[in-house]
Amino acid sequence: MQSNSILVGQRLHEGNIMRERVVTIGDHLPLVGIFCEPDADRVSDPKTAVILLNSGVIHRVGSCRLSVTLGRALADEAGVPTFRFDFSGIGDSDARRGTLTANQAAIEEVQEVMDYLGKWKKIDRFILYGLCSGAFAAYRTAIADRRVLGTVQLDGYCYTTWKSHMMHYSPKLLSPSRWVTWLLRKLGLRKVKKGAEVSGIEEQFFEVPDFASYPPKEDVQQGLKTLNDRGLEMLYVFLGNEHYKYHKQFEDCFNGVSFKDNLTVIHRPNATHILSEPEDRKRVIEAITDWVNQKLPAY
Amino acid sequence: MEAFYFGPSESYLFGAFHSRHGMSRNEGIVLCNPFGQEYLRAHKSIRRLAINLANLGYPVLRFDYRGTGDSAGDINGVSADQWVRDIGHAIQELQDMAAVPKVALIGLRLGALLAAKAATENAQVSRLVMWDPVVDGASYVEGIRSAIVGAQPLGSRSRVITSDGTLHFNGFSMPPLFQDSISKWHLKTLAADVRVPIAQIVSHESDTFADLKRLLSAQQGFYSELAPAPHDWNYVDHVGGILWPKPVIDAIEQYFGRTTSS
Repeated sequence: MQSNSILVGQRLHEGNIMRERVVTIGDHLPLVGIFCEPDADRVSDPKTAVILLNSGVIHRVGSCRLSVTLGRALADEAGVPTFRFDFSGIGDSDARRGTLTANQAAIEEVQEVMDYLGKWKKIDRFILYGLCSGAFAAYRTAIADRRVLGTVQLDGYCYTTWKSHMMHYSPKLLSPSRWVTWLLRKLGLRKVKKGAEVSGIEEQFFEVPDFASYPPKEDVQQGLKTLNDRGLEMLYVFLGNEHYKYHKQFEDCFNGVSFKDNLTVIHRPNATHILSEPEDRKRVIEAITDWVNQKLPAY
Repeated sequence: MEAFYFGPSESYLFGAFHSRHGMSRNEGIVLCNPFGQEYLRAHKSIRRLAINLANLGYPVLRFDYRGTGDSAGDINGVSADQWVRDIGHAIQELQDMAAVPKVALIGLRLGALLAAKAATENAQVSRLVMWDPVVDGASYVEGIRSAIVGAQPLGSRSRVITSDGTLHFNGFSMPPLFQDSISKWHLKTLAADVRVPIAQIVSHESDTFADLKRLLSAQQGFYSELAPAPHDWNYVDHVGGILWPKPVIDAIEQYFGRTTSS
Protein backbone atom coordinates (compact mmCIF):
# COMPACT_ATOMS: atom_id res chain seq x y z
CA MET A 1 0.00 0.00 0.00
CA GLN A 2 1.30 3.41 -0.81
CA SER A 3 0.48 7.07 -0.89
CA ASN A 4 1.72 8.08 -4.27
CA SER A 5 3.02 11.39 -5.55
CA ILE A 6 3.25 14.90 -4.31
CA LEU A 7 0.64 16.62 -2.22
CA VAL A 8 -0.98 19.43 -4.14
CA GLY A 9 -3.46 22.02 -3.01
CA GLN A 10 -5.71 24.73 -4.27
CA ARG A 11 -6.73 27.87 -2.51
CA LEU A 12 -10.47 27.99 -1.99
CA HIS A 13 -11.50 30.41 0.72
CA GLU A 14 -9.36 33.13 2.19
CA GLY A 15 -6.41 31.44 3.81
CA ASN A 16 -7.72 27.91 3.32
CA ILE A 17 -6.17 25.31 1.08
CA MET A 18 -7.74 22.01 0.11
CA ARG A 19 -5.13 19.37 -0.66
CA GLU A 20 -5.27 16.41 -2.98
CA ARG A 21 -2.96 13.51 -3.63
CA VAL A 22 -3.06 10.40 -5.74
CA VAL A 23 -3.22 7.23 -3.67
CA THR A 24 -2.75 3.67 -4.84
CA ILE A 25 -3.96 0.90 -2.56
CA GLY A 26 -2.67 -2.63 -2.77
CA ASP A 27 0.77 -3.89 -3.77
CA HIS A 28 -0.42 -5.95 -6.70
CA LEU A 29 -2.97 -4.53 -9.17
CA PRO A 30 -3.64 -1.54 -6.90
CA LEU A 31 -6.80 0.53 -6.69
CA VAL A 32 -6.21 4.11 -7.86
CA GLY A 33 -7.87 7.05 -6.16
CA ILE A 34 -7.60 10.66 -5.06
CA PHE A 35 -7.54 11.62 -1.38
CA CYS A 36 -8.91 15.12 -0.90
CA GLU A 37 -8.20 16.72 2.43
CA PRO A 38 -9.60 19.92 3.92
CA ASP A 39 -7.44 22.61 5.37
CA ALA A 40 -6.41 21.57 8.89
CA ASP A 41 -8.39 24.47 10.38
CA ARG A 42 -11.56 23.32 8.69
CA VAL A 43 -11.58 19.63 9.62
CA SER A 44 -14.94 18.85 11.23
CA ASP A 45 -14.19 15.31 12.37
CA PRO A 46 -10.77 13.74 11.83
CA LYS A 47 -12.18 10.24 12.32
CA THR A 48 -14.68 10.34 9.44
CA ALA A 49 -14.26 10.33 5.66
CA VAL A 50 -16.59 10.14 2.67
CA ILE A 51 -15.76 7.52 0.03
CA LEU A 52 -17.13 8.15 -3.45
CA LEU A 53 -17.84 5.09 -5.58
CA ASN A 54 -17.93 4.60 -9.35
CA SER A 55 -21.18 4.98 -11.26
CA GLY A 56 -21.44 2.15 -13.75
CA VAL A 57 -18.33 2.01 -15.93
CA ILE A 58 -17.50 5.73 -15.66
CA HIS A 59 -14.13 6.35 -14.04
CA ARG A 60 -13.79 7.99 -10.66
CA VAL A 61 -14.41 11.60 -11.79
CA GLY A 62 -18.08 10.64 -12.02
CA SER A 63 -20.78 11.46 -14.53
CA CYS A 64 -20.39 15.07 -15.64
CA ARG A 65 -17.42 15.31 -13.19
CA LEU A 66 -19.85 15.08 -10.29
CA SER A 67 -17.58 13.06 -7.98
CA VAL A 68 -14.71 15.53 -8.33
CA THR A 69 -16.97 18.52 -7.68
CA LEU A 70 -18.74 16.81 -4.79
CA GLY A 71 -15.54 15.42 -3.25
CA ARG A 72 -13.95 18.86 -3.23
CA ALA A 73 -17.12 20.56 -1.94
CA LEU A 74 -17.36 18.12 0.95
CA ALA A 75 -13.72 18.70 1.88
CA ASP A 76 -14.02 22.45 1.60
CA GLU A 77 -17.49 23.13 2.95
CA ALA A 78 -18.15 20.20 5.29
CA GLY A 79 -14.55 19.84 6.46
CA VAL A 80 -14.47 16.12 5.76
CA PRO A 81 -11.76 14.27 3.83
CA THR A 82 -12.97 12.43 0.76
CA PHE A 83 -11.60 9.60 -1.32
CA ARG A 84 -12.76 8.92 -4.87
CA PHE A 85 -11.36 5.78 -6.42
CA ASP A 86 -11.83 3.24 -9.19
CA PHE A 87 -13.04 -0.27 -8.51
CA SER A 88 -10.81 -2.88 -10.12
CA GLY A 89 -11.45 -3.13 -13.85
CA ILE A 90 -12.79 0.43 -14.06
CA GLY A 91 -10.92 3.65 -14.87
CA ASP A 92 -7.28 3.47 -13.81
CA SER A 93 -7.55 0.40 -11.58
CA ASP A 94 -6.46 -2.83 -13.22
CA ALA A 95 -8.79 -5.79 -13.39
CA ARG A 96 -7.99 -8.26 -10.63
CA ARG A 97 -8.03 -12.00 -10.89
CA GLY A 98 -10.35 -13.98 -8.67
CA THR A 99 -13.64 -15.74 -8.47
CA LEU A 100 -15.62 -12.93 -6.87
CA THR A 101 -18.51 -11.36 -8.77
CA ALA A 102 -18.28 -7.62 -9.38
CA ASN A 103 -20.84 -7.11 -6.59
CA GLN A 104 -18.82 -9.14 -4.10
CA ALA A 105 -15.54 -7.55 -5.19
CA ALA A 106 -16.98 -4.06 -4.71
CA ILE A 107 -17.63 -4.71 -1.03
CA GLU A 108 -14.15 -6.15 -0.49
CA GLU A 109 -12.53 -3.25 -2.32
CA VAL A 110 -14.39 -0.61 -0.31
CA GLN A 111 -13.30 -2.47 2.83
CA GLU A 112 -9.73 -2.47 1.52
CA VAL A 113 -9.97 1.29 1.12
CA MET A 114 -11.42 1.69 4.62
CA ASP A 115 -8.61 -0.45 6.07
CA TYR A 116 -6.05 1.68 4.26
CA LEU A 117 -7.50 5.00 5.42
CA GLY A 118 -7.73 3.58 8.93
CA LYS A 119 -4.03 2.76 9.01
CA TRP A 120 -2.87 5.84 7.16
CA LYS A 121 -5.10 8.56 8.59
CA LYS A 122 -6.68 6.87 11.62
CA ILE A 123 -10.09 7.26 10.03
CA ASP A 124 -12.51 4.62 11.22
CA ARG A 125 -15.97 5.99 10.31
CA PHE A 126 -17.17 6.30 6.77
CA ILE A 127 -19.97 7.72 4.71
CA LEU A 128 -20.35 5.99 1.35
CA TYR A 129 -21.61 7.94 -1.64
CA GLY A 130 -22.72 6.52 -4.96
CA LEU A 131 -24.94 7.14 -7.95
CA CYS A 132 -26.82 4.21 -9.47
CA SER A 133 -24.56 1.14 -9.24
CA GLY A 134 -22.40 3.14 -6.83
CA ALA A 135 -25.46 3.57 -4.60
CA PHE A 136 -26.09 -0.17 -4.73
CA ALA A 137 -22.48 -0.85 -3.71
CA ALA A 138 -22.77 1.69 -0.86
CA TYR A 139 -25.89 -0.08 0.45
CA ARG A 140 -24.35 -3.56 0.25
CA THR A 141 -21.11 -2.46 1.90
CA ALA A 142 -23.02 -0.74 4.70
CA ILE A 143 -24.72 -4.05 5.49
CA ALA A 144 -21.39 -5.85 5.52
CA ASP A 145 -19.35 -3.38 7.54
CA ARG A 146 -20.25 -1.50 10.70
CA ARG A 147 -17.62 1.17 10.05
CA VAL A 148 -20.12 2.65 7.60
CA LEU A 149 -22.19 5.15 9.55
CA GLY A 150 -23.97 6.75 6.62
CA THR A 151 -24.83 6.33 2.95
CA VAL A 152 -25.67 8.90 0.31
CA GLN A 153 -27.45 7.11 -2.51
CA LEU A 154 -28.49 8.74 -5.77
CA ASP A 155 -31.10 6.61 -7.52
CA GLY A 156 -30.51 3.75 -5.09
CA TYR A 157 -32.63 0.63 -4.81
CA CYS A 158 -36.34 1.40 -4.96
CA TYR A 159 -39.25 -0.49 -6.45
CA THR A 160 -42.60 0.48 -7.88
CA THR A 161 -45.68 0.95 -5.69
CA TRP A 162 -49.36 0.86 -6.68
CA LYS A 163 -49.30 4.66 -6.73
CA SER A 164 -46.21 4.85 -8.96
CA HIS A 165 -47.81 2.26 -11.26
CA MET A 166 -50.90 4.43 -11.54
CA MET A 167 -48.84 7.55 -12.17
CA HIS A 168 -46.78 5.73 -14.76
CA TYR A 169 -49.55 4.00 -16.66
CA SER A 170 -52.52 6.39 -16.38
CA PRO A 171 -51.29 8.83 -19.03
CA LYS A 172 -50.38 5.92 -21.28
CA LEU A 173 -53.88 4.43 -21.09
CA LEU A 174 -55.20 7.53 -22.83
CA SER A 175 -52.61 7.46 -25.59
CA PRO A 176 -53.61 5.52 -28.76
CA SER A 177 -49.99 5.35 -29.95
CA ARG A 178 -48.95 3.71 -26.66
CA TRP A 179 -51.66 1.06 -27.15
CA VAL A 180 -50.36 0.36 -30.66
CA THR A 181 -46.80 0.06 -29.35
CA TRP A 182 -47.95 -2.25 -26.55
CA LEU A 183 -49.85 -4.41 -29.02
CA LEU A 184 -46.88 -4.65 -31.39
CA ARG A 185 -44.64 -5.67 -28.49
CA LYS A 186 -47.08 -8.32 -27.33
CA LEU A 187 -47.27 -9.69 -30.88
CA GLY A 188 -43.50 -9.78 -31.05
CA LEU A 189 -43.45 -7.26 -33.89
CA ARG A 190 -41.52 -4.64 -31.97
CA LYS A 191 -38.55 -5.42 -29.77
CA VAL A 192 -37.78 -3.57 -26.56
CA LYS A 193 -34.18 -2.40 -26.80
CA LYS A 194 -31.93 -2.97 -23.81
CA GLY A 195 -28.39 -2.10 -22.78
CA ALA A 196 -26.07 -1.41 -25.69
CA GLU A 197 -28.92 -1.91 -28.20
CA VAL A 198 -30.40 1.47 -27.19
CA SER A 199 -27.36 3.27 -28.52
CA GLY A 200 -27.50 1.62 -31.91
CA ILE A 201 -23.79 0.94 -31.49
CA GLU A 202 -22.61 -2.63 -31.90
CA GLU A 203 -22.04 -4.26 -28.54
CA GLN A 204 -18.38 -4.99 -29.25
CA PHE A 205 -17.75 -1.24 -29.56
CA PHE A 206 -19.75 -0.12 -26.53
CA GLU A 207 -19.58 -0.97 -22.85
CA VAL A 208 -22.48 -0.48 -20.48
CA PRO A 209 -22.87 -1.62 -16.87
CA ASP A 210 -24.66 -4.84 -16.05
CA PHE A 211 -27.61 -4.17 -13.78
CA ALA A 212 -29.06 -7.66 -14.05
CA SER A 213 -28.42 -8.32 -10.38
CA TYR A 214 -31.16 -6.09 -8.93
CA PRO A 215 -32.12 -7.98 -5.75
CA PRO A 216 -35.63 -8.99 -4.66
CA LYS A 217 -37.47 -6.23 -2.84
CA GLU A 218 -37.85 -8.39 0.28
CA ASP A 219 -34.06 -8.68 0.57
CA VAL A 220 -33.58 -4.93 0.39
CA GLN A 221 -36.38 -4.37 2.90
CA GLN A 222 -34.67 -6.75 5.31
CA GLY A 223 -31.35 -5.03 4.70
CA LEU A 224 -32.86 -1.63 5.39
CA LYS A 225 -34.36 -2.94 8.63
CA THR A 226 -30.92 -4.10 9.71
CA LEU A 227 -29.33 -0.77 8.81
CA ASN A 228 -32.14 1.17 10.42
CA ASP A 229 -31.77 -0.79 13.67
CA ARG A 230 -28.08 -0.01 13.55
CA GLY A 231 -28.85 3.69 13.25
CA LEU A 232 -27.23 4.15 9.83
CA GLU A 233 -27.80 7.64 8.51
CA MET A 234 -29.32 7.51 5.02
CA LEU A 235 -29.71 10.20 2.39
CA TYR A 236 -31.56 9.07 -0.71
CA VAL A 237 -31.75 11.35 -3.73
CA PHE A 238 -34.06 10.27 -6.52
CA LEU A 239 -33.66 11.93 -9.88
CA GLY A 240 -35.92 12.00 -12.89
CA ASN A 241 -36.50 8.45 -14.01
CA GLU A 242 -39.56 6.59 -15.16
CA HIS A 243 -39.63 4.31 -12.12
CA TYR A 244 -39.52 6.88 -9.33
CA LYS A 245 -42.70 8.90 -9.57
CA TYR A 246 -43.36 10.77 -6.31
CA HIS A 247 -41.51 11.98 -3.25
CA LYS A 248 -42.72 9.38 -0.74
CA GLN A 249 -42.32 6.40 -3.07
CA PHE A 250 -39.25 5.15 -1.19
CA GLU A 251 -41.06 5.13 2.17
CA ASP A 252 -44.19 3.60 0.63
CA CYS A 253 -42.08 0.97 -1.10
CA PHE A 254 -40.38 -0.01 2.17
CA ASN A 255 -43.31 0.59 4.52
CA GLY A 256 -42.29 -2.47 6.50
CA VAL A 257 -39.28 -0.55 7.81
CA SER A 258 -39.82 1.82 10.75
CA PHE A 259 -37.45 4.56 9.64
CA LYS A 260 -36.63 6.98 12.41
CA ASP A 261 -35.07 10.39 11.87
CA ASN A 262 -32.11 8.76 10.15
CA LEU A 263 -33.78 8.83 6.72
CA THR A 264 -33.79 11.83 4.38
CA VAL A 265 -35.30 11.57 0.91
CA ILE A 266 -34.93 14.19 -1.80
CA HIS A 267 -36.77 13.92 -5.11
CA ARG A 268 -35.74 16.02 -8.11
CA PRO A 269 -38.03 14.74 -10.85
CA ASN A 270 -36.77 17.12 -13.52
CA ALA A 271 -33.11 16.21 -13.13
CA THR A 272 -31.54 13.68 -15.46
CA HIS A 273 -30.12 10.45 -14.07
CA ILE A 274 -26.55 11.61 -14.76
CA LEU A 275 -27.25 15.14 -13.42
CA SER A 276 -26.28 16.73 -16.69
CA GLU A 277 -27.83 20.12 -15.96
CA PRO A 278 -25.58 22.48 -13.98
CA GLU A 279 -28.34 23.80 -11.75
CA ASP A 280 -29.39 20.29 -10.74
CA ARG A 281 -25.79 19.32 -10.01
CA LYS A 282 -25.34 22.42 -7.88
CA ARG A 283 -28.51 21.79 -5.86
CA VAL A 284 -27.72 18.12 -5.26
CA ILE A 285 -24.15 18.93 -4.18
CA GLU A 286 -25.49 21.57 -1.78
CA ALA A 287 -28.04 19.12 -0.37
CA ILE A 288 -25.41 16.43 0.20
CA THR A 289 -22.96 18.89 1.74
CA ASP A 290 -25.65 20.24 4.08
CA TRP A 291 -26.66 16.71 5.06
CA VAL A 292 -23.08 15.67 5.80
CA ASN A 293 -22.57 18.85 7.83
CA GLN A 294 -25.66 18.04 9.82
CA LYS A 295 -24.89 14.36 10.34
CA LEU A 296 -21.18 14.43 11.05
CA PRO A 297 -20.56 13.16 14.58
CA ALA A 298 -19.56 15.85 17.02
CA TYR A 299 -15.84 16.31 17.18
CA MET B 1 1.31 2.75 -14.34
CA GLU B 2 2.25 5.56 -12.01
CA ALA B 3 -0.38 8.20 -11.25
CA PHE B 4 0.62 11.56 -9.80
CA TYR B 5 0.11 15.30 -9.89
CA PHE B 6 2.45 17.61 -11.79
CA GLY B 7 2.59 21.07 -13.33
CA PRO B 8 2.11 24.52 -11.80
CA SER B 9 1.03 24.44 -8.15
CA GLU B 10 -1.90 26.81 -8.78
CA SER B 11 -3.29 24.60 -11.53
CA TYR B 12 -1.89 21.15 -10.87
CA LEU B 13 -2.55 18.43 -13.41
CA PHE B 14 -3.40 14.76 -12.95
CA GLY B 15 -1.08 12.50 -14.90
CA ALA B 16 -0.76 8.77 -15.50
CA PHE B 17 2.64 7.58 -16.66
CA HIS B 18 3.06 4.26 -18.44
CA SER B 19 6.69 3.20 -18.48
CA ARG B 20 8.08 1.48 -21.56
CA HIS B 21 8.29 -2.29 -21.79
CA GLY B 22 10.38 -4.46 -24.03
CA MET B 23 12.41 -2.52 -26.55
CA SER B 24 13.38 0.97 -25.49
CA ARG B 25 12.35 3.70 -27.90
CA ASN B 26 13.98 7.08 -27.89
CA GLU B 27 10.65 8.86 -28.16
CA GLY B 28 7.84 9.43 -25.67
CA ILE B 29 4.14 9.91 -26.35
CA VAL B 30 1.70 12.35 -24.74
CA LEU B 31 -2.01 11.63 -25.20
CA CYS B 32 -4.32 14.62 -25.52
CA ASN B 33 -7.93 14.17 -24.39
CA PRO B 34 -11.07 15.43 -26.07
CA PHE B 35 -13.54 17.75 -24.32
CA GLY B 36 -16.58 17.13 -22.10
CA GLN B 37 -18.68 14.03 -22.41
CA GLU B 38 -16.27 12.84 -25.09
CA TYR B 39 -13.53 12.80 -22.45
CA LEU B 40 -15.58 10.51 -20.19
CA ARG B 41 -16.48 8.25 -23.09
CA ALA B 42 -12.84 8.05 -24.22
CA HIS B 43 -11.07 7.37 -20.90
CA LYS B 44 -10.95 3.61 -21.35
CA SER B 45 -9.78 3.90 -24.98
CA ILE B 46 -7.08 6.42 -24.12
CA ARG B 47 -5.85 4.24 -21.27
CA ARG B 48 -5.80 1.13 -23.44
CA LEU B 49 -3.91 3.01 -26.15
CA ALA B 50 -1.35 4.13 -23.55
CA ILE B 51 -0.84 0.56 -22.32
CA ASN B 52 -0.47 -0.78 -25.87
CA LEU B 53 2.04 1.90 -26.87
CA ALA B 54 4.06 1.34 -23.67
CA ASN B 55 4.21 -2.33 -24.61
CA LEU B 56 5.76 -1.25 -27.91
CA GLY B 57 8.58 0.43 -26.00
CA TYR B 58 7.27 4.01 -25.81
CA PRO B 59 6.98 5.79 -22.45
CA VAL B 60 3.51 7.35 -22.41
CA LEU B 61 1.89 10.10 -20.38
CA ARG B 62 -1.83 10.77 -20.38
CA PHE B 63 -3.20 13.62 -18.30
CA ASP B 64 -6.19 15.84 -17.54
CA TYR B 65 -6.17 19.48 -18.66
CA ARG B 66 -6.71 22.07 -15.95
CA GLY B 67 -10.39 22.26 -14.96
CA THR B 68 -11.06 18.72 -16.17
CA GLY B 69 -10.94 15.23 -14.69
CA ASP B 70 -8.88 15.07 -11.51
CA SER B 71 -6.86 18.22 -12.30
CA ALA B 72 -7.30 21.39 -10.30
CA GLY B 73 -10.13 23.87 -10.60
CA ASP B 74 -12.92 24.10 -13.09
CA ILE B 75 -13.05 25.45 -16.60
CA ASN B 76 -14.24 28.95 -15.64
CA GLY B 77 -11.57 31.45 -16.61
CA VAL B 78 -9.66 28.88 -18.63
CA SER B 79 -8.68 29.43 -22.25
CA ALA B 80 -7.69 26.89 -24.87
CA ASP B 81 -4.21 28.46 -24.88
CA GLN B 82 -3.83 27.30 -21.27
CA TRP B 83 -4.73 23.76 -22.27
CA VAL B 84 -2.02 23.97 -24.93
CA ARG B 85 0.38 25.11 -22.21
CA ASP B 86 -0.76 22.10 -20.17
CA ILE B 87 0.29 19.89 -23.08
CA GLY B 88 3.66 21.65 -22.87
CA HIS B 89 3.87 20.81 -19.15
CA ALA B 90 3.03 17.18 -19.99
CA ILE B 91 5.76 17.04 -22.65
CA GLN B 92 8.31 18.39 -20.17
CA GLU B 93 7.15 16.02 -17.43
CA LEU B 94 7.42 13.01 -19.72
CA GLN B 95 10.89 14.04 -20.85
CA ASP B 96 11.96 14.35 -17.23
CA MET B 97 10.48 11.01 -16.23
CA ALA B 98 11.56 8.94 -19.20
CA ALA B 99 14.68 10.81 -20.32
CA VAL B 100 13.53 11.00 -23.93
CA PRO B 101 14.72 13.80 -26.25
CA LYS B 102 11.48 14.03 -28.22
CA VAL B 103 7.78 13.44 -27.74
CA ALA B 104 4.98 12.49 -30.13
CA LEU B 105 1.51 13.88 -29.55
CA ILE B 106 -1.69 11.93 -30.14
CA GLY B 107 -4.90 13.96 -29.92
CA LEU B 108 -8.47 12.75 -30.08
CA ARG B 109 -11.16 15.13 -31.40
CA LEU B 110 -10.54 18.54 -29.76
CA GLY B 111 -7.34 17.07 -28.37
CA ALA B 112 -6.03 16.84 -31.94
CA LEU B 113 -6.56 20.54 -32.56
CA LEU B 114 -4.87 21.39 -29.26
CA ALA B 115 -2.02 18.98 -30.02
CA ALA B 116 -1.49 20.60 -33.41
CA LYS B 117 -1.23 24.00 -31.73
CA ALA B 118 1.17 22.53 -29.16
CA ALA B 119 3.25 21.01 -31.97
CA THR B 120 3.80 24.49 -33.37
CA GLU B 121 4.99 25.77 -29.99
CA ASN B 122 7.18 22.96 -28.64
CA ALA B 123 10.39 22.09 -30.43
CA GLN B 124 10.56 18.70 -28.68
CA VAL B 125 7.52 17.41 -30.56
CA SER B 126 8.60 14.70 -33.00
CA ARG B 127 5.29 13.88 -34.70
CA LEU B 128 1.60 14.54 -34.49
CA VAL B 129 -1.18 11.95 -34.70
CA MET B 130 -4.71 13.25 -35.14
CA TRP B 131 -7.53 10.84 -34.25
CA ASP B 132 -10.91 11.95 -35.62
CA PRO B 133 -9.69 15.55 -35.32
CA VAL B 134 -11.79 18.62 -34.74
CA VAL B 135 -10.54 20.50 -37.79
CA ASP B 136 -12.05 23.93 -37.22
CA GLY B 137 -12.43 25.36 -33.70
CA ALA B 138 -15.09 27.87 -34.74
CA SER B 139 -17.22 25.20 -36.41
CA TYR B 140 -16.81 22.97 -33.38
CA VAL B 141 -18.14 25.65 -31.04
CA GLU B 142 -20.90 26.51 -33.48
CA GLY B 143 -21.84 22.82 -33.68
CA ILE B 144 -22.26 22.68 -29.91
CA ARG B 145 -24.28 25.88 -29.92
CA SER B 146 -26.52 24.57 -32.72
CA ALA B 147 -27.09 21.31 -30.88
CA ILE B 148 -28.16 23.23 -27.78
CA VAL B 149 -30.47 25.54 -29.70
CA GLY B 150 -31.88 22.61 -31.66
CA ALA B 151 -32.63 20.64 -28.50
CA GLN B 152 -34.43 23.43 -26.67
CA PRO B 153 -37.75 23.17 -28.56
CA LEU B 154 -37.74 19.47 -27.73
CA GLY B 155 -37.89 20.33 -24.02
CA SER B 156 -34.28 19.51 -23.27
CA ARG B 157 -33.11 20.74 -19.89
CA SER B 158 -29.65 19.32 -20.12
CA ARG B 159 -28.39 21.63 -22.82
CA VAL B 160 -28.45 25.30 -21.87
CA ILE B 161 -26.81 28.57 -22.75
CA THR B 162 -26.43 30.87 -19.74
CA SER B 163 -26.65 34.66 -19.87
CA ASP B 164 -22.87 35.10 -19.87
CA GLY B 165 -22.64 32.98 -23.02
CA THR B 166 -21.41 29.79 -21.35
CA LEU B 167 -22.46 26.69 -23.24
CA HIS B 168 -23.61 23.77 -21.08
CA PHE B 169 -23.58 20.71 -23.27
CA ASN B 170 -24.27 17.18 -22.10
CA GLY B 171 -23.20 18.01 -18.58
CA PHE B 172 -20.04 20.00 -19.34
CA SER B 173 -19.47 23.74 -19.56
CA MET B 174 -17.59 25.76 -22.12
CA PRO B 175 -17.27 29.42 -21.05
CA PRO B 176 -16.92 32.28 -23.55
CA LEU B 177 -13.17 32.68 -22.99
CA PHE B 178 -12.60 29.08 -24.01
CA GLN B 179 -14.98 29.37 -26.98
CA ASP B 180 -13.24 32.51 -28.22
CA SER B 181 -9.77 31.04 -27.92
CA ILE B 182 -10.57 27.74 -29.60
CA SER B 183 -12.47 29.49 -32.39
CA LYS B 184 -9.27 31.08 -33.70
CA TRP B 185 -7.70 27.77 -34.63
CA HIS B 186 -8.04 25.75 -37.81
CA LEU B 187 -6.01 22.67 -38.60
CA LYS B 188 -5.35 23.80 -42.14
CA THR B 189 -3.56 26.87 -40.85
CA LEU B 190 -1.84 25.16 -37.93
CA ALA B 191 -0.66 22.21 -40.01
CA ALA B 192 1.31 24.53 -42.27
CA ASP B 193 3.40 25.48 -39.24
CA VAL B 194 3.88 21.91 -37.99
CA ARG B 195 7.38 20.89 -39.06
CA VAL B 196 7.14 17.25 -38.05
CA PRO B 197 5.37 14.25 -39.66
CA ILE B 198 1.60 14.24 -39.28
CA ALA B 199 -0.72 11.23 -39.29
CA GLN B 200 -4.48 11.41 -39.63
CA ILE B 201 -6.20 8.24 -38.43
CA VAL B 202 -9.97 8.37 -38.62
CA SER B 203 -12.91 6.14 -37.80
CA HIS B 204 -15.13 7.39 -40.62
CA GLU B 205 -15.03 9.36 -43.82
CA SER B 206 -16.07 12.99 -44.04
CA ASP B 207 -15.55 15.89 -46.44
CA THR B 208 -13.57 17.69 -43.76
CA PHE B 209 -11.19 14.79 -43.26
CA ALA B 210 -10.84 14.41 -47.04
CA ASP B 211 -10.00 18.12 -47.44
CA LEU B 212 -7.41 17.92 -44.71
CA LYS B 213 -5.91 14.79 -46.21
CA ARG B 214 -5.56 16.51 -49.60
CA LEU B 215 -3.88 19.48 -47.98
CA LEU B 216 -1.49 17.43 -45.85
CA SER B 217 -0.57 14.91 -48.54
CA ALA B 218 2.10 17.25 -49.79
CA GLN B 219 3.83 17.33 -46.39
CA GLN B 220 6.74 14.98 -45.88
CA GLY B 221 5.95 11.94 -43.76
CA PHE B 222 2.18 12.37 -43.89
CA TYR B 223 0.25 9.20 -43.14
CA SER B 224 -3.48 8.61 -43.43
CA GLU B 225 -5.64 5.66 -42.48
CA LEU B 226 -9.32 4.90 -42.26
CA ALA B 227 -10.14 2.42 -39.47
CA PRO B 228 -13.95 2.09 -39.51
CA ALA B 229 -15.41 2.22 -35.99
CA PRO B 230 -18.19 3.94 -34.02
CA HIS B 231 -17.41 7.58 -33.39
CA ASP B 232 -20.37 9.29 -31.74
CA TRP B 233 -18.42 10.29 -28.66
CA ASN B 234 -21.19 12.61 -27.51
CA TYR B 235 -23.85 9.93 -27.47
CA VAL B 236 -25.37 10.08 -23.99
CA ASP B 237 -27.43 7.30 -22.47
CA HIS B 238 -28.90 6.95 -19.00
CA VAL B 239 -26.14 4.77 -17.61
CA GLY B 240 -22.96 6.32 -19.02
CA GLY B 241 -21.91 3.74 -21.57
CA ILE B 242 -18.34 3.86 -22.82
CA LEU B 243 -17.30 3.86 -26.46
CA TRP B 244 -14.71 1.29 -27.43
CA PRO B 245 -13.48 1.85 -31.02
CA LYS B 246 -10.86 -0.89 -31.04
CA PRO B 247 -10.08 -0.70 -34.80
CA VAL B 248 -8.76 2.86 -34.37
CA ILE B 249 -6.77 1.96 -31.26
CA ASP B 250 -5.24 -0.92 -33.21
CA ALA B 251 -4.48 1.33 -36.20
CA ILE B 252 -2.64 3.88 -34.06
CA GLU B 253 -0.71 1.13 -32.32
CA GLN B 254 0.28 -0.35 -35.67
CA TYR B 255 1.39 3.06 -36.93
CA PHE B 256 3.74 3.43 -33.98
CA GLY B 257 4.81 -0.19 -34.26
CA ARG B 258 6.04 0.06 -37.81
CA THR B 259 7.38 3.60 -37.89
CA THR B 260 9.91 5.52 -35.90
CA SER B 261 10.42 9.25 -35.80
CA SER B 262 13.30 10.52 -37.86
